Amino acid sequence: MIHEEARGKLLTGWSAIMIPLMLAGAVVFVIRFILGLGATTNLSDAYPWGLWIVIDLLWIALAAGAFVTAGTVYIFGGEKYHGIARSAVLMGLLSYTCVGITLLADLGAPWNFWNLLLWHPEHSAMFEVSWCVGLYVCVLFFEFLPAVFDRFGWEQLRDGWRKISPILVVLAVTWFTFLMSHLSIMWTVIAFVVFSILAIVLKPKPNDKSGVPIMLIIAAVVFSTMHQSSLGSLFLLMPDKLSHLWWTPILPICFFLSAVTGGFATMIFTEMTLSKFFRRPMNGDVLAGLGKLACGAMWVYMIVRIVDLVVRGQLGAAFTGGVGNLLLIEIIAGGLLPAVLLLAPGIRKNLGGLMFASLLIMGGVVLNRLNVVLLGVDPFAPTPGATPYAYYPTLIEILISVSLIGATFFFFGLFARVLPIFTQPHQEA
Amino acid sequence: MSKACLVDLTKCIGCRACQVACKQWHNLPPEPTRFQGTGGCYENPPALSAKTYTRITFHELVDQNGDLETCVFVKRQCMHCDDPACVAACPVTALRKSDDGPVTYDSYKCIGCRYCVLACPFGVPTADWDTPFPQIHKCDFCFDRIEEGEAPDKVNGIALDDAGSQARFAETQATPACMKVCPTGALKFGDRDELLKEAQERIAAEPTEYVKHVYGEKEVGGTNWLYISPVSFDKLNFRTDLPTRSIPDHSVWALKAVPAAVVGLGAVLGGIYWVTKRRDEVEAEHESTTNA
Repeated sequence: MIHEEARGKLLTGWSAIMIPLMLAGAVVFVIRFILGLGATTNLSDAYPWGLWIVIDLLWIALAAGAFVTAGTVYIFGGEKYHGIARSAVLMGLLSYTCVGITLLADLGAPWNFWNLLLWHPEHSAMFEVSWCVGLYVCVLFFEFLPAVFDRFGWEQLRDGWRKISPILVVLAVTWFTFLMSHLSIMWTVIAFVVFSILAIVLKPKPNDKSGVPIMLIIAAVVFSTMHQSSLGSLFLLMPDKLSHLWWTPILPICFFLSAVTGGFATMIFTEMTLSKFFRRPMNGDVLAGLGKLACGAMWVYMIVRIVDLVVRGQLGAAFTGGVGNLLLIEIIAGGLLPAVLLLAPGIRKNLGGLMFASLLIMGGVVLNRLNVVLLGVDPFAPTPGATPYAYYPTLIEILISVSLIGATFFFFGLFARVLPIFTQPHQEA
Repeated sequence: MSKACLVDLTKCIGCRACQVACKQWHNLPPEPTRFQGTGGCYENPPALSAKTYTRITFHELVDQNGDLETCVFVKRQCMHCDDPACVAACPVTALRKSDDGPVTYDSYKCIGCRYCVLACPFGVPTADWDTPFPQIHKCDFCFDRIEEGEAPDKVNGIALDDAGSQARFAETQATPACMKVCPTGALKFGDRDELLKEAQERIAAEPTEYVKHVYGEKEVGGTNWLYISPVSFDKLNFRTDLPTRSIPDHSVWALKAVPAAVVGLGAVLGGIYWVTKRRDEVEAEHESTTNA
């Protein structure tokens, strides 16, 4: 697979909007640290999590495109999607970086982050989330390195990278298991042995110089799976505040499944947008295939969601108005409708139809995360008698989020022009 | 043995000496106060906050005709759950449940994620919002007072006799600040099992004075603060919708499953890869032999 840089000038008309926006975001970011969270946000003891967490959660779910693509291409042998793997990884890397910067702004005392290295709480989903994010960003960075090797012709470094990646993966997974099993020696040894065997058995032949070491891909899928589901685990601690239309014991599974379908939809959206933006040919076969995968994933997700609602006796509550309407929009417009649309081969082959269905799926995932973090939550449930009030993000909160979303696209455009991200068109034919 | 407090709401007169003592012991700054308008008229400050770890809520209960029936005053603070949601939430063990009862907080570990604020079923942990260097704040059960300690040999230069000095020390020093100052005995400090028994005895002795419910006995798996009340707890803005199952119990399965999921998923993915690769290799060999 030969990759190439996108043609065109480094700075485009978009830069005239994006650069001032990012500068404004940077200034506001500094102001937030000078004045503190109370002065710059509308967060409070009733709303300790606001816009930033919503953006983090939905962005992470959509950034699942990186791992579902990598998994499809390398593990399940979906060779035809190989051409989009590198742009998926770059998008994932930039997304996770910007989510990390948002978290930095959101945390009250981010300078204490190193305590995550020192302590090992027994059952903290936040601890799992933190380690998953950290390790997955490292994996994404390693997955992306071939683009840099290609660009500068660093073949020796590539050899080193190929040799060291599986070792680092074994160490990272073992360390993660050590922490997550609350320092259980047994689990640590099992993880080390299993992943070492994988690294040895799946060792590529010496003459195989193509692609990314499979151990990196396995690590990407493992950390992503744990990460997406652990974001759902966070809300298991809120059975008394989150409406039971969303709160379910299987919330981690729902989060994972919606991230997979959201990831495929985001890949369709991203590929079509990039093709338009960089005036590159679209590969209809790849896009239709992604539509089929998104469709399958959505049906699995929808069946799980609806069966879960029925089993817990909550389906009726969805039709009683209030937040029930939000659930209905999420399930019907953001779930069942695109799932039915994408069943039709005609729609999967039609670019407009495909884009429409993808946007519906992405909207459904966005609404789901919004519902779980804010709209479906009764923040005043713990304090009966308190006067409820609503939360609206401040301009500063909005500006930081918008500028970071802008930065993701700006840096994608920049990297796509200086590094070989896209495959050469004649290769795809 | 776990330390607990029994709050007898029939004995509280709403003097708020506990509120003041708490501020003094924790050296907490004042907050602007204001009249609350309708209901809870003298209640101040309006909510627990980073500057107020405990407060008395005022409840004027009226009968069907709208006439004042009774007044009840409720001391609110951290309930010190047996299995606390805030402790399960904390990614850096800044919040901890100690063996003898208190749920305590180490500010030097805290990264400020505020997950504890969100997770608490009683709305207790609060954050500093007016500083760039925020911490989490909550009642710490005066753990620094109540830790098992030896009574001093002498006080103000006067030697203490062995007999009884430990008991007097426990009574005067090793008691949470709020309980030390309570003038009516509404707050009683002691061993949880004993206090629970005493609460049930008090209810049994005067069944007309109390409702038959020890709040905190079973709520979210039990708490180290126990309440008995002359009126049903929902009238006093207590949560009566809480299950007896502890909050962290809901997430334990998901977190316990992580090591097995990591190993299992890795093995399955490796297996699938090996099979697809082998299939491709066999196909390639097959093609090359047929082409030859």
